[in-house]
Amino acid sequence: MNTPAIRATGLRKTFRAGDGSTVVAVDDVDLTIAAGEIVAFLGPNGAGKTTTVDMLLGLTRPDAGTVEVYGVEPGAAVRAGRVSAVMQTGGLLPDFTVEETVRAIAATHGRSDRVAAVIERAALSEIADRRVQACSGGEQQRLKFALALVPDPDLVILDEPTAGMDVATRQHFWDTMRADAAQGRTIVFATHYLAEADEFAERTVLIARGRIVADGPTADVRASFGGRTVSFRPPDDVVRPDGLDPAWLARVEQALTPLGVTGVEVSSASLEAAFLALTGDASLADPAPTTPELTGATR
Amino acid sequence: MTATTTAPTRTRGPRPALGTYVALDLRRQVRDRVGMFFIVALPSFMYVVFGLGSDDRVGSGNVAMYVMTSMATYAAVTATTTVAGTATVEQTMGWGRQLALTPLRPLTIVGMKAAVAMAVAAVAVTLVFAVGAVTGASGAASDWVLSALVIWIGSAMFAIYGLAICLVFRGPNTPGIASGLIVVMAFLGNLFTPMDGLMLDIGRLTPMYGFAALAHYPQTDGWLPLGDHDPLWLPVANVLAWTVIFSLLALWGVRRSRART
Repeated sequence: MNTPAIRATGLRKTFRAGDGSTVVAVDDVDLTIAAGEIVAFLGPNGAGKTTTVDMLLGLTRPDAGTVEVYGVEPGAAVRAGRVSAVMQTGGLLPDFTVEETVRAIAATHGRSDRVAAVIERAALSEIADRRVQACSGGEQQRLKFALALVPDPDLVILDEPTAGMDVATRQHFWDTMRADAAQGRTIVFATHYLAEADEFAERTVLIARGRIVADGPTADVRASFGGRTVSFRPPDDVVRPDGLDPAWLARVEQALTPLGVTGVEVSSASLEAAFLALTGDASLADPAPTTPELTGATR
Repeated sequence: MTATTTAPTRTRGPRPALGTYVALDLRRQVRDRVGMFFIVALPSFMYVVFGLGSDDRVGSGNVAMYVMTSMATYAAVTATTTVAGTATVEQTMGWGRQLALTPLRPLTIVGMKAAVAMAVAAVAVTLVFAVGAVTGASGAASDWVLSALVIWIGSAMFAIYGLAICLVFRGPNTPGIASGLIVVMAFLGNLFTPMDGLMLDIGRLTPMYGFAALAHYPQTDGWLPLGDHDPLWLPVANVLAWTVIFSLLALWGVRRSRART
């Protein structure tokens, strides 16, 4: 299949804040996702993940740029049942039962034949008669997942899908997703859990302050940023309860400067390091090294 | 495990089963016993208080029938507004965003909610008329049927009103605002107290006036309790104009509720 699952170019969205100023939530985002990919959309809270997801689903109209889902506008793809989503802020009706919720959404898709299948798939059989308001956060999340499976979509977009799930449920959820992906379903999930991106995504798109700051195979993203960190243990007498002795740190920087080392910081060699370096406030970290290293990541 | 295949040529899904959705939503509504009591039983009680035993002639029937028609109108409007008001709760819960990911168009969603509201309205009107029938309201049988039909069909307009108010003024108090406004509109609509003069002229422009006048038309041929007369075009124009206004407001509200704020 040559048509990409998602092709977004130049996406931009601004919101008006309460005090009348405008906030740029998403700024010039280009994103192409091929059919069958598993992509993590990783960024801190407020980075613009949910706004981007909304535009990919046609729920929010971008101020600029275009979105195509399987070659058509998102609304048409949704109506055709080719794309569905588990939304972070998408809701459930508390006085429906679990099964009624699934039946209601199945009816809107004209797919009442799928009710039993998705209830079983999302492991909801035991609580099918329970009112939604009596369900735990993780159970409600599974119900939303069941609703997303109703149209048997080719592309599933998951916004913080495992929020509220315990460890075992989360594991089961991702096992299910992997089985789906193996059958050719395209999966895009937004998360701020680094471990989830690390473990489940083939490709990671890092977003911060509305911009894509890195995009590449998850292993590359991790290696190119985490692998270059040199760490060492400071002597005990400079370690204070509130951090390192600033005078000592200044001497370390002074000593390292002739060697060409800049931007000394405390971090661990992991994807987390890359995450923090790329998404941190520009005024706190030296932004200069990140730009050349970006190229390394996408290579 | 269900078979999953990608179908590149898929452009249209199967037809939505709207009836199934409406039935599920209606069942959910009727399970709310307290809410149903106020929608269905309160107007019947008001008829008993205001209309019982008034046997003077009005048009083709008696005063009791006139009051019964007024209260059935009020009941139908309360029913449709209240049911549509649950749309607020649904929006607060984000159900609108869930529905936005289905093949349903905004207009279809409005229509389905109106259908649920009208089913409840039918129960409310039937009950008030039944109470009237056994307590001395009398008039030509054809006028009863015609009035009931006008009330029932016309209450669709207030399902749209309830949706519009609740979608436009989103918040926990909105259903209360919608119901409160209904009481005001019912007075201005000549439902509770007979009006004449300037108040009547003002009332003729308000949303419930045309609907109430049409509900009474089979019995009164447009003659009002205090001697004024409405030509048929006046209530018809009122109903049409306000239906268009409410519909536009509701559509705007549905669109707006889909965007995350």
